[in-house]
Amino acid sequence: MAAAKPDSNFSPEIVALYCRQCLDAEERPQEGARPAKGFNARLVMLPCSGKVEAYQMLRILEQGADGVLLVGCPENACRFLVGSRRAEKRLTHAGQLLDLVNMGAGRLALKRAADLTTADILALAGQLAERVKTLGPNPMKGDSL
Amino acid sequence: MIVAEWKPIPELLASLKGHKNVLLVGCATCVAECAAGGEREVLTLAPVLKMGLKDQGQEVNIITRTLERQCEPEFVEELAEIAPQVDAIMSLACGIGMQLVAERFIDLPLYPGVNTTSLAIREQPGLWTARCAACGDCMLGETFGLCPVARCAKSLMNGPCGGTRKDGKCEVDENTECIWRLIVERAEAKGRLEDLVKVRPSKNWSNSGHGGPKRMLREDLR
Amino acid sequence: MKTPVQTKLQQAIAAGRFALTLEIGPPQSPNPEPLRKKAEIIKGLADGYNVTDNQTAVVRMSSIAASKIILEMGLEPVMQMVCRDRNRIAMQSDLLGASALGLKNVLALSGDHQKASAAGKLKGHPGAKNVYDIDSIQLIATIKGLRDEAKQEGGDAIAEPAPFFIGAAWTPLGTPRNFRVLRLAKKIAAGADFIQTQAVYDVPAFAAQVAKARDMGLTDKAAILAGIIVPRSAGMLSYMDRQVPGVEVPAELIARMKQAKDAKAEGIKVTVELIQAVRAIPGVKGVHLQAIEAEELLPEIVKAAGLSPQDR
Ligand code: SF4
Ligand code: SF4
Repeated sequence: MAAAKPDSNFSPEIVALYCRQCLDAEERPQEGARPAKGFNARLVMLPCSGKVEAYQMLRILEQGADGVLLVGCPENACRFLVGSRRAEKRLTHAGQLLDLVNMGAGRLALKRAADLTTADILALAGQLAERVKTLGPNPMKGDSL
Repeated sequence: MIVAEWKPIPELLASLKGHKNVLLVGCATCVAECAAGGEREVLTLAPVLKMGLKDQGQEVNIITRTLERQCEPEFVEELAEIAPQVDAIMSLACGIGMQLVAERFIDLPLYPGVNTTSLAIREQPGLWTARCAACGDCMLGETFGLCPVARCAKSLMNGPCGGTRKDGKCEVDENTECIWRLIVERAEAKGRLEDLVKVRPSKNWSNSGHGGPKRMLREDLR
Repeated sequence: MKTPVQTKLQQAIAAGRFALTLEIGPPQSPNPEPLRKKAEIIKGLADGYNVTDNQTAVVRMSSIAASKIILEMGLEPVMQMVCRDRNRIAMQSDLLGASALGLKNVLALSGDHQKASAAGKLKGHPGAKNVYDIDSIQLIATIKGLRDEAKQEGGDAIAEPAPFFIGAAWTPLGTPRNFRVLRLAKKIAAGADFIQTQAVYDVPAFAAQVAKARDMGLTDKAAILAGIIVPRSAGMLSYMDRQVPGVEVPAELIARMKQAKDAKAEGIKVTVELIQAVRAIPGVKGVHLQAIEAEELLPEIVKAAGLSPQDR
């Protein structure tokens, strides 16, 4: 049986978890919903990307978000040294689990960057939104915990 | 600690087929230490199971709990309140904890979420290796504190087999040390290689599971 | 008390003749014909024929049955017995049965782990539960008890002693090297009468280990038969050098095989030289010769090495 082509005509919801250390010194931290062109973003600020647990990313997807973006510091610039590397391992682990349940690891993305503005973060979220469109809407959508 | 690991996700999903309300229960002791059944793993597995079952067209509600110790009746009792709300329990505790839960909530099906594999140590972050096989006849005193029962693939008692790899690893796994090589090296370092020359007679296995299920009775404590 | 044992192998050793053993692997089949065919090729050459016990943990005709089949053809078997698959009850029972069938040479081994069964193209039985109730040294002691004390491992008597000529394996160049002679000593102390070694290519290194054994008086207590595996190509030798535990192959030997125009003929020449070299080591009482998947070469090699029965 040929798999039905995923519906790419939707506006993905992307939750962006970003490390506060990645922000430009001048930038005021922003949180909450941010409608953008072709997708919706929700920004969540973290003290360090290394604090993110696999279950937090999984739970966000279980609750219906279409993608989770994790923004951490460049590998060598992490203030907590191994924070962003640890984040990457957890994201990989969560991705493997997502593959096992046909959700697709592609719904998770890690970006490393420094001196970001809110607009930069939204642009990164937009890249993930494009990728997520090929996976279709999250089948969990509409479910509530 | 007692070491366990998640069963394969497809196996877990298959076992929950047809259930609507499932209690996923972890244990904050050994299985938390080995990252298989502590609170973090309970919270990780719950959404995975929900998504996996949804993918198979099944809606399920998963209630999560993590007990201090699943092998103590007092702690298991904490589940009494939620048990009436669920139609199945999946436990991430070792086989001991699971059995206590199964016995306490006899009307509910109990599904193992993990395979209990060994008595092991966390050797490095993310690496657990066996140390003891509960053989009931400890011979660590003869082997310089290194257990050949649990750590030799053949439980040899008189020295290394002919299969020790050139780099000193075990014939069976290129990543596992031949424990007999380590025993010999430790004996040598202490200048006591001679201690290993005496033939070690056959072992008495009857004080382990081979003698029938173990039952330890202490009259002074009853 | 020592129960007298008479086997052709034991007699050859006792008479001071240079002993020769060969190997024969039972088929993965209930049909004895392939076994008989192999036996026919090598019949009459050696003092004993090792019959493997589910080698590499692959299921084959039992070594007891196969031993009996070749015994009926006039080949004297060395029945191998591994500790992987049977506990001390089954092993002793099989030993009594083997004795009743006229099998008298037995070689006690730890055995390859069941994981090895899935190493090649076969599925094998990597999910099998192994036994390892007793280890190879404890098995040697158990067989000795059946023979010299007519006593089972647990202490009960058997009605009469079971006369076995007891063999053990030795990996002289195994890791950790300086324990290997002590492990040999343990096997001999437990009751081994003869020893078959892992394949020897590095003769000086082997000779050094044998010299240590000799200094400990071990070569007077048990007969060491040096293992020789006929080399077939430089590739095979360098594989063994890299991958096979306890086998060391000198670089010159690999180079020599590489340069040879006719690898088969060169392999035979090397084999003959190796046999002569180990024969010159004091304390070596024979060879255990193998031509893996090329048994048909054995008659020629045995002759060329001067090991034909009339020459020994
Ligand atoms: S000898 Fe037995 S009791 Fe002692 S550590 Fe090993 S398995 Fe455990
Ligand atoms: S290589 Fe060492 S640890 Fe492995 S089975 Fe042999 S003796 Fe045991």
